[in-house]
Amino acid sequence: MVDLVLKGIRKDFGATRAVDRINLTFPHGKLTALLGPSGCGKTTLLRMIAGLEDPTHGRILLGDEDITALPAHRRRFGMVFQSFALFPHLTVADNIAYALAIEGVDKAKRRARAEELLELVQLPGYGARRIGELSGGQRQRVAIARALAQEPRVFLLDEPMSALDAKLREDMQVELRLLQQRLKITTVVVTHDQREAMTMADQIVVMSHGHAEQVGPPQQIYSRPANAFVASFIGKANFLSGEATGGRFRVGEFTFEAPRAPSFLTGSKVTLAIRPENAVIGGKGPNALPARITFIRDVGSTRDIYLSTPVGEIVVEYGAGESLPPMHVGEDVPLQLPPETLHVFAREPEAAA
Amino acid sequence: MSASAAEEAASAPGPAHTDASGAALRLGLLAVLLVLCLVPFLFVLAISFGHKIEGAGWEFGFEFTHYARFFFGAAWPESFSQLYWQRLGYSVYFAAIAAVLAVALAFPFTYFLTRLSRLGQTIWLVILLSSLSLSEVFIVMGWDILLSARSGLPALLDALGITDWTKEIGWFRWFRDVGLASPRNFKFKTSGFATVLTMAYLVWPYAVILLYPALSRLDPSLIEAARTMGARPLTVTRTVILPLVRLPLVGSSLLLFVFLLGTYVTVTVFADPSQHTLAVSIYDSVRGSTLNAPFGAAQSVILLVAAGGFLLAGRRLSAAAAS
Repeated sequence: MVDLVLKGIRKDFGATRAVDRINLTFPHGKLTALLGPSGCGKTTLLRMIAGLEDPTHGRILLGDEDITALPAHRRRFGMVFQSFALFPHLTVADNIAYALAIEGVDKAKRRARAEELLELVQLPGYGARRIGELSGGQRQRVAIARALAQEPRVFLLDEPMSALDAKLREDMQVELRLLQQRLKITTVVVTHDQREAMTMADQIVVMSHGHAEQVGPPQQIYSRPANAFVASFIGKANFLSGEATGGRFRVGEFTFEAPRAPSFLTGSKVTLAIRPENAVIGGKGPNALPARITFIRDVGSTRDIYLSTPVGEIVVEYGAGESLPPMHVGEDVPLQLPPETLHVFAREPEAAA
Repeated sequence: MSASAAEEAASAPGPAHTDASGAALRLGLLAVLLVLCLVPFLFVLAISFGHKIEGAGWEFGFEFTHYARFFFGAAWPESFSQLYWQRLGYSVYFAAIAAVLAVALAFPFTYFLTRLSRLGQTIWLVILLSSLSLSEVFIVMGWDILLSARSGLPALLDALGITDWTKEIGWFRWFRDVGLASPRNFKFKTSGFATVLTMAYLVWPYAVILLYPALSRLDPSLIEAARTMGARPLTVTRTVILPLVRLPLVGSSLLLFVFLLGTYVTVTVFADPSQHTLAVSIYDSVRGSTLNAPFGAAQSVILLVAAGGFLLAGRRLSAAAAS
């Protein structure tokens, strides 16, 4: 049981600080997703784990072993690249057995292992094909098989689904997750897709501007976002700007209760957030306010009701199964923001931008 | 995915030409090709069958005397000489070694060049392109001085004590045996070494420019993938980079080889007269000491056919390797 641990990792490219103050534990046999918008440093972090970049500062540990200075070719970490990086001059089987060929494993064993891995990724009999003959999904499976050939100590995937179309992507997410659970291999996946992270991960690290904003299991990150950035990046949210007043929060003329919010000094600037599925049209009780329907988006599986309220625009989402009275654009309806679903974050000067 | 999309975009039809203007363009190109390439070649071909008037010029005719002289010697059938075969042999020998040397030296340079920033690459490419404006004569003059016994490399080696050192450890004898030293000092002129070195220098910028597109297209993630799978840098070069750029490497070598078959100034200055190439012999026939234009033309045709043969063989080989 060896965990992968990052301690105080920092990476500078010239004057640019790509990654800063990263302290993370990747538990053994679990899948961790590094999630964030492009340019947040998640790929740089993954490349440092792989040994393809050297951290400017900090240490990388695998169990008790300090691997910070260990070159990539001696780490035995399998990596799947965004472009898959399959060797076009080799057959599928030779691609998969590349690591074994480097090690000097004999040909018969290499062939057997390649066939075994091809079965694992559901491409039996593809060994003799050339890379150019494969579809995007097949290439990805080959890239996964190749990265697993050396029985890696850690399995790394850099945006593995980005080259696939939407339908295939969803299937591969489930398949990759099942494969990872079967092999019980410590896995790190870089992604900018929150659905992908929530589908596959045991643990999500939400990153922005080179920092880890929040680390935790997917459901915890969704239901208890640590700050406004996480709330906006994971799922959808309505945001209101307000001010703390004696344990409650004032937005314009309205005052809201949020019993789960931390305590703020009176007068401090805050951001209130509520998930679209938590707001209730026609709800009564605390945190109620008048609203007018401005737009209804019905995409089949969900209906989004756009409302104009005195505190700003709010979107409410209903699932297809949920019954709700007939509604029309222009209608006035009461809206309630249930107190226990309201998140409150301190408003950071830069987050306002 | 993105690569195949790019290919599709590249193969998509460009701006449509009307049939008439397209045909005119093709005709124009054909005319240029005829005037610039085919007509001069046919002219040389015709002269090669011409008749040499002793003590004067030549006239058009149809005789194989000059080809016979190349293949069997001037005194055939009384005696056989392989002098001109030898000349062709030295042409091939120097050009082949120099082309391979230039590509071998350009390969690591170009590889590291493509890993530089955009600005760095641009600066280097501009320097290289401007070095192409140097004429062969100028380059040969430079190397002539650099390799000269009194003020060049031999003098430097002597001053640094390297000459004495190689004498002490007994290596100097080896240099003398291969003709790179006089009894007392290093001597690089005349030598095959100086010839090949200068020829390689001459085409090295071309080699870089020929290898640049292939190496800059090389996906860095392929190299990184190999590293994560346990390959050391040298293993990565051997198992990934070289196989991927093998065709451009062979193609560039072949092209530079054919180009170098015609090297003239370098050979006349640096090669021993016994090792002069067919290009020198052609010049001697056409303009120089022997004055026999039809024989010069015949040698030119043979050199051209030989070059064509090498290109064809190279294409066959690379086609076989690619399939």
